[in-house]
Amino acid sequence: MKPDLILKKHQKTADLKAFSLKALFLIGMVSPILAMSGEAGTALKADTLRATPFADAKSVGTLSKNDAVNIVAKKGAWLQVTTQKSTGKKSTGWVRLLSVKRGGTSSSNQVKGLADVASGRAGTGKVVSTTGIRGLSAEELKTAQFNETEMKKLESYTLTASDGQKFAKAGGLTATKLPYFTGAK
Amino acid sequence: MHSIQHKLKHKLLVGLILSTGIFSMHFSMQASALDFGKALEDAAKKKVEELRNGNSITNGESANTDQSKTSAESEAVNEEKAFNWKNPSKAEEIALGREITGSILGAAALVKDDKLQQYVNKVGRWVASQSERADLPWKFGVIESSDLNAFAAPGGYVLITKGLYQQLSNEAQLAGVLGHEIAHIVQKHQLKVLQKQQLVNIGAGLMTDKFGKDNKIAQKAIGSGAEISARILDKSAEYEADRMGVVLAARAGYDAFGLPEVLQKIGQTNKTDNSVALLFKTHPHPDERLTQLGNSAGSKLDNLKAGKTLENRFYKLAN
Repeated sequence: MKPDLILKKHQKTADLKAFSLKALFLIGMVSPILAMSGEAGTALKADTLRATPFADAKSVGTLSKNDAVNIVAKKGAWLQVTTQKSTGKKSTGWVRLLSVKRGGTSSSNQVKGLADVASGRAGTGKVVSTTGIRGLSAEELKTAQFNETEMKKLESYTLTASDGQKFAKAGGLTATKLPYFTGAK
Repeated sequence: MHSIQHKLKHKLLVGLILSTGIFSMHFSMQASALDFGKALEDAAKKKVEELRNGNSITNGESANTDQSKTSAESEAVNEEKAFNWKNPSKAEEIALGREITGSILGAAALVKDDKLQQYVNKVGRWVASQSERADLPWKFGVIESSDLNAFAAPGGYVLITKGLYQQLSNEAQLAGVLGHEIAHIVQKHQLKVLQKQQLVNIGAGLMTDKFGKDNKIAQKAIGSGAEISARILDKSAEYEADRMGVVLAARAGYDAFGLPEVLQKIGQTNKTDNSVALLFKTHPHPDERLTQLGNSAGSKLDNLKAGKTLENRFYKLAN
């Protein structure tokens, strides 16, 4: 163990998801709509905004790559977002979750910060903690020596398939068939 | 009886030498294109040294047996050839993965929290059971590192850093991350990288040529081309593991979007943050991974049955 401790700041911001996911658990229904109370996002690519969370739903607008959005709700593979075009025209619609990344430009983060203040989340969620655990560099991995004790410990945790099944059952998880899909061209 | 012990010892030794070299090269190669040549040279030198040391140990052992030095050496060569690199057996894969994983554990020990390790093994085992290699003795561990990263090694070894674990907020996200690593093992991505680098060939070459008079030539041979091909394979392998990770989590009954959520979260981490230095060097940026995932998914995930997120059951770390 090298003593080169790297001091790092961990920012834990108020977790909007935790709230909405809790809602999912409480409701416990299929494909619930989860309120997201305005998290900032950015379009990763051009996509169509739709009236309802279905691919064949009516188009209500378009997103261009890098457009700033406000994430309002989540439903399965879809996010409900609001956008404001440079023309000032506002639109709300559903877009695929994978077309949007969380977080925006610095200006939209400021907007999010203001929204947090307005909703009373500011001050309660942001916890800055400092930890002294070192990082794991390529160099450290390169020079690392095999550790038999730790390996034996890792091996001691090995479970059987039926252990996994019991655990899944306890959580109400059921296996479903779903084929892999191939890469983009 | 003694001969078997001797063989076993030697086999382990050879395995250690090869995998240590492979592992370090794999990482240093990915870490920086500029350092690659130097790192490769260093690793190759180290390997030669280790092989020499290994040889002296072997000789020392054989001196205590009835076997002559020559027969011990030829046996060693046979042992080396016995490891089928082109199409390794399950046992060989596990032996290789064990050495690689043990080295990572040498750099970062397991988090001392039995409940955490047991929990991660339960989730991982269930997700792995949805894969095409449910028969492997899957092992999962959380290691002491504030980095955001996860590692997979052949034969069913998966490690995730404490730093990454702390970014997760529910079981579906953990399932997605583990699903990504499980996919690497199912698709034998790491083995393919090793084969592509032809690292094994020098390993074997050094053994058979009695530590190779032409080391420099061998080094040059892998130095050129290997890096580029490995990089291309790596990038596409990451995208493939993302696609498969999403499907594996969904097959297990989880919300399929746990992995994308994690990518969305770590995508917001500043690129200059130390905790993502290695991850961002060895993987495409999360934004790029999300884009690729979205492009390949197209409409295929639109009507997926809603899965569970189970944040109520998610094991939270004390700090």
